[in-house]
Amino acid sequence: MSRETNNQDKVVAMQREQGPILEVKDLKVDFTTDEKHVVHAVRDASFSVYPGQWVAIVGESGSGKSTSAMAVLGLLPGTGKVTGGSIKLEGEEISRYSRKQYEEILGEKMGLVPQDPMSNLNPVWRIGTQVEEALKANHMDVSHEKRSKLAKALAGDDAVSIKSEDDETFIGSKELPELFKAAQKALTDSGVTSEALERHMDYFKKDWVAGSATRWLVADDLIKAGVDDDEAWSIAKRYVLGSTMNDRIAGLLDEAGLPDAATRARQFPHEFSGGMLQRALIAIGLACRPDLLIADEPTSALDVTVQKRILDHLHNLTDELGTAVLFITHDLGLAAERAQHIVVMYKGQVVESGPSLEVLQHPQHPYTKRLVAAAPSLASQRIVSAKEHGQDASSYMEHAVKSESTLKQGEHIITVSHLTKEFKLPRKRQMFKAVDDVSFSIKRGTTLAIVGESGSGKSTVANMVLKLLEPTSGTVTYEGKDIKDFKGRSLLDFRRHVQPVFQNPYGSLDPMFSIYRSIEEPLRIHKIGDKKSRQQRVSELLDLVKLPQSVMQRYPNELSGGQRQRIAIARAMALNPDVIVCDEAVSALDVLVQDQVLQLLNDLQAERGLSYLFITHDLAVVRQIADEVVVMQKGKLVEHATTDEVFDHPQKQYTRDLLDAIPGGDLRLGLD
Amino acid sequence: MTAFTSADSKTAYETLPGQERFVAPVEQTPLQDVDSIDESAPATSMWADAWRTLRKNPLFVISGLLILFIIFVALFPQVFTHQDPNYCTLENSLGPSAKGHPFGFDTQGCDVFTRTVYGTRTSLSVGILTTILVMIIGTIIGALAGFFGGWIDAILSRGTDIFMAIPLLLGAIVVLQMFRTSSSIWKIVLVLALFGWTQTARIARSAVLETKNLEFNTAATSLGSTPIRNLMMHIMPNSLASIIVVTTTSLATYIVSEATLSFLGIGLPSTTVSWGGDISNAQTMLRTNPSVLFYPSVALAITSLAFIMMGDAVKDALDPKSRTS
Repeated sequence: MSRETNNQDKVVAMQREQGPILEVKDLKVDFTTDEKHVVHAVRDASFSVYPGQWVAIVGESGSGKSTSAMAVLGLLPGTGKVTGGSIKLEGEEISRYSRKQYEEILGEKMGLVPQDPMSNLNPVWRIGTQVEEALKANHMDVSHEKRSKLAKALAGDDAVSIKSEDDETFIGSKELPELFKAAQKALTDSGVTSEALERHMDYFKKDWVAGSATRWLVADDLIKAGVDDDEAWSIAKRYVLGSTMNDRIAGLLDEAGLPDAATRARQFPHEFSGGMLQRALIAIGLACRPDLLIADEPTSALDVTVQKRILDHLHNLTDELGTAVLFITHDLGLAAERAQHIVVMYKGQVVESGPSLEVLQHPQHPYTKRLVAAAPSLASQRIVSAKEHGQDASSYMEHAVKSESTLKQGEHIITVSHLTKEFKLPRKRQMFKAVDDVSFSIKRGTTLAIVGESGSGKSTVANMVLKLLEPTSGTVTYEGKDIKDFKGRSLLDFRRHVQPVFQNPYGSLDPMFSIYRSIEEPLRIHKIGDKKSRQQRVSELLDLVKLPQSVMQRYPNELSGGQRQRIAIARAMALNPDVIVCDEAVSALDVLVQDQVLQLLNDLQAERGLSYLFITHDLAVVRQIADEVVVMQKGKLVEHATTDEVFDHPQKQYTRDLLDAIPGGDLRLGLD
Repeated sequence: MTAFTSADSKTAYETLPGQERFVAPVEQTPLQDVDSIDESAPATSMWADAWRTLRKNPLFVISGLLILFIIFVALFPQVFTHQDPNYCTLENSLGPSAKGHPFGFDTQGCDVFTRTVYGTRTSLSVGILTTILVMIIGTIIGALAGFFGGWIDAILSRGTDIFMAIPLLLGAIVVLQMFRTSSSIWKIVLVLALFGWTQTARIARSAVLETKNLEFNTAATSLGSTPIRNLMMHIMPNSLASIIVVTTTSLATYIVSEATLSFLGIGLPSTTVSWGGDISNAQTMLRTNPSVLFYPSVALAITSLAFIMMGDAVKDALDPKSRTS
């Protein structure tokens, strides 16, 4: 610990000496709309980033966080313009730079890891070609490494020893086999045991990656393995002669954590998963060894466990290279966990900034307070800490978890047993098991959450429960009756009692229908009441979801995601259902809005005794709403227990991994 | 590689200049209600929105006025001329413009102005009727193919492909040979529709396919709605915009096609006044008496241009993504 603090002091001293790499002062960015309205997207924002530092900008959508980052990069979209303030990169004013001047600094001094990995790689080019483009555009020397001065201090004393420029030459793939042979010979000559020899050689094979490992590293490894200095250096000098373009591309992809990089480089984006694409983008962003990497929500499209792996890797990599990172995120937990300095933005302004833990533990601005209180990733911590303090935990929770006895005695409203769903894959013989032998039951008046990552089959289960998909085998029963047998009248009756709320608030409402028609639709389908009584019912439902009556005449495109989701809940409530299936119902929403919708769902449950089947990828949300949790992985049920059990005593490794991956899960925030 | 530094060690972090704790005064950015609704803005449906965009588009205003004028001419040709378009005397053959006959006379001694005015009705009816027919046939076939998929889609789509493979003019020539004697404009309308519906069907099919997979259909199904009800209430209204866009832009082509067919002599007989027929008759005098050819051609060009402009404006309004600026 003391060594680490020492090291950190050294880093801070170096940072202080070098001064900030990026300094933004009173930045103003305006957009002009079609109707010539000026929108102030960023107003007087100031923040700075020091070399080797991770700085997070946190805010909701529309807060101006991405716009600020794009302004720094000179990549403002459309009519966006910097209208005031200054942006200094290494002390040089760049806000007035021309496009051409920006081209010179982009890549080499500033890199970008964009938000959506799916749309930021060109689908018709191989991954390797796109990395090559980044290297060529900046005339990078592909045979030598470029590192920041700070790298050594950041990575700790003995991990990296910066040698002279010449020793930063990469290994080439051509010389690699001979290098291994020479290394083996040198090791045998120096008289190590055959067992140690094997161990060392295995390590070398892992560590010496063409296009990524350098000459001094090879020498260093050899010396550490027991080869004497002169011999080690002469081997390194003889066989490490610089990499080719292809080696360097593979090396970069390997550094970004892509396994089997040389083969991967020849593949096309559609052959990659989301996480792999993000790694490729990180490789491109870091290809030219920028001093500052701007990461715009780099992992928000990915599963939590993948997010954790990628960010851990990025953290190691940037520390090793001494790269500063400006990190844009909506996730407070993530910011708290990763960044030293945090900047909170709201409506285009910086409302609070400072050391990240201090800001999030003792928020002072009312907006930050509100944000911290609503963040689900921190809520889980709140419950635990309340318990530890010996206070009544339930008073801290919005929703008290039902006691074990009520859960045991409760009447099963929906029972799922041995549910299996197979899909036929195109161009393949064998069937793909999306859901594999899943059984659970929901008790009346409680919430059961299904948690899993993408591809876990959780939504397929939801669709089968809703009778939108037929199971391959297994049964779903509603109040003791198999839903397979529902047809005509009985199906209509089932629909009346089991209602869904879907993930995408932009897709689940018909854009051609006014809000009134949308909410009225179920009443019409089930021929309930006359025109007048339906109108009455719609206005009651709007009250229920706390929306003003005036929205009746509006159309979905005029409402925000959270408002649409509340309309979707009102529509689901129109028929007084017993069960609501929420398929990722809050995943697309900002934390504050998400919190609001979760509160609404909780209130409705308390008032009307609704049962929820809550599908989500976010364990943190589960803690806020669920009584029981089913964890799914690759179509199989991994763990099924009460929420407290799962959070406090997870039985399976996968559940533990998921819990560990909740960003900021082990930080205590919002102490005030 | 070192493990990344644990969060606790950061608390001991020293603040660097420019990174001191900062809290903005609350008055500067007053907090707003979470997710409040802007009640001041007027409520707009997609159609109302499209109408607002259209109204502001000069292309729409100009073409709209032109089309209104053309429709007026077609409905009330008597307002513009008191003569009978089929009253021709050879005395006047190729006569120059005179009082009451501003465009002069053609070979047969018919008044060019009157014939141009009366020709409007033929061209416009052919254009509009064909468009309506094409829209009905194309939408039904395309929607059924897109909605049901499977073998229904296979049959209907291959049928569409077969019709698409026949060139419009070639097909029309072959079919119209059979109706040489009929003088009704319906034969032209039917033939044009017969070979013209394929494009609309394709567009309708893809629009329905796209809308079919949107979540609001699943939502409606789980509310208890039947597939057919989904098609009528949700899918069709949402697909209509793209169907309207193709059909309005192709209206002009039907007007031109009618003129082409009449020009080739297989369209309408000379007793029915049409621009195409007149242009055909005038072509022999192109060198000696170009004005006879000129007036019906200009009328045809203006009409088709007006509809093309209208189609473009409608496309811009209904599909803002395709807008080029």
